[in-house]
Amino acid sequence: MLGAEVTFDVALPKVVWGWLVSTNMWAKSIATGSFLVGLYFIKKYPEKDAFFRKWLPILGLIFIAITLLVTVLDLHHMFRFWKIFVFAHFTSAVTLGAWVVSAFVIVLLLSFWSWVTGNRKLFDKIAIPGFIIAFFSTIYTAGIMGQSTARELWVFPVELFQMLLSAVLAGSAAYLLLMQIFNVQMEDVKRELSFIFIGSAFLSAAGYIGELLFARMHSEFSHRAVEILAFGELAPMFWLGMFLTFIIPIVLVGVATEKKKYEYLTLGSISALIGLWLIKHSWLLAPQMLPLS
Amino acid sequence: MRLGFLVDLSRCMGCMACAVSCKAENDVPLNSWRLRVKYIDQGEFPYVKRHFVPLRCNHCENAPCERICPVSALHYLPNGIVNVDHNRCIGCASCMMACPYNAIYIDPITNSADKCTYCAHRIEVGMMPACVVACPTHANIFGDLDDPESEISKYLKEHRDVMVRKPELNTKPKHFYVRGSTVALDPLASERPEGYTLFTEVKFLDHIGGH
Repeated sequence: MLGAEVTFDVALPKVVWGWLVSTNMWAKSIATGSFLVGLYFIKKYPEKDAFFRKWLPILGLIFIAITLLVTVLDLHHMFRFWKIFVFAHFTSAVTLGAWVVSAFVIVLLLSFWSWVTGNRKLFDKIAIPGFIIAFFSTIYTAGIMGQSTARELWVFPVELFQMLLSAVLAGSAAYLLLMQIFNVQMEDVKRELSFIFIGSAFLSAAGYIGELLFARMHSEFSHRAVEILAFGELAPMFWLGMFLTFIIPIVLVGVATEKKKYEYLTLGSISALIGLWLIKHSWLLAPQMLPLS
Repeated sequence: MRLGFLVDLSRCMGCMACAVSCKAENDVPLNSWRLRVKYIDQGEFPYVKRHFVPLRCNHCENAPCERICPVSALHYLPNGIVNVDHNRCIGCASCMMACPYNAIYIDPITNSADKCTYCAHRIEVGMMPACVVACPTHANIFGDLDDPESEISKYLKEHRDVMVRKPELNTKPKHFYVRGSTVALDPLASERPEGYTLFTEVKFLDHIGGH
């Protein structure tokens, strides 16, 4: 600090993107994650795929509907949403996201139709393009964050990996929860799902800790944003999110898998899904707490 | 033609004539600003200095707002101005997230993004931007950067202390400052305590227009 203080200025807008955008990212993680994780199990265990063929489209459609709803609600001109398709500007990750999510909705509808009619071949035909579309639906938000030049905390490749890990974590947590609720007895699948969950949680936590340690070296802006996140006004939300998303679930799911006490999966999955929203929200807010001009 | 702006900070006396004329010319609603003047006090009595900094859109050559706008509501004009099409804007506020200069706002009346356009409507008919006309000390210098005979080009040539805001972001602003300082141009180089200070309440708005 150079002993300087702003003594006259106008009131500046603080949070531009708030909880609606956090909910968008959170719901999209579940929607795309349930597709990516579900597809893996359908391909790996074709003899036990009924559970995933049913819940993949249902979970996907519910959470992509939430994603789209909050996206449109967040627009200041929600009834002009259609313009994104008519006046598409393809340098924008927002535009690419709108198109790729629209394609993902079609994939999910076809998957749903395949489950309703029992037409397995239909799903098998769309599986590979569906995987590619789900992958890009997951990562386009990282592109938006990367294009948000003003918010230097968000760096594109790092956000891309975090989006993918969030999707895998959220998808596996959602399936583990459903397996407990509907008392699905597939131990080997449950065990493998738990390992995927723990692995993605561990990598994601490592990514966030790495960002806290290294992002502060990028620039003064990132340094200040990390301070707000780790020690400032967002610290309680962020650390609670870290605790709920990674520490509690890793312990509970680990115990559930090793000791075959699968009832712990329910609490672990719920904790991870709640915590993920808190982390996404605090990560979204942190760079918006600093003045840009 | 590449229109640009230069502010000689040694001439600015913080009278706000530019901000007021901008408001009047562009019918900018309450709580929104296309151009504002920030005061920063530096040092301790008796060694105190006050900096006045007019802040507006930088009309970057590599504009992050233009790149991220999903519907091209923000677009380049042939003269280099980054313009806004209010009727096309969907109000996603991506431009506000991308602009490193906090130059864009959501108009609470139209619900569309808006910002300084260098008074594109006045330039079209051969007039200077309103803030240039209103400035009593000619601190605002406006003109064609491609014309070596323009006042702004000569000014840039004659001064070695030309600065832009956040050059490290590679946005290539076409808005320059001379006789500036880090304290004046870097928002993180000064503290911004919320509450009543000199004449007004310096604060952050919790919500932006429309929501």
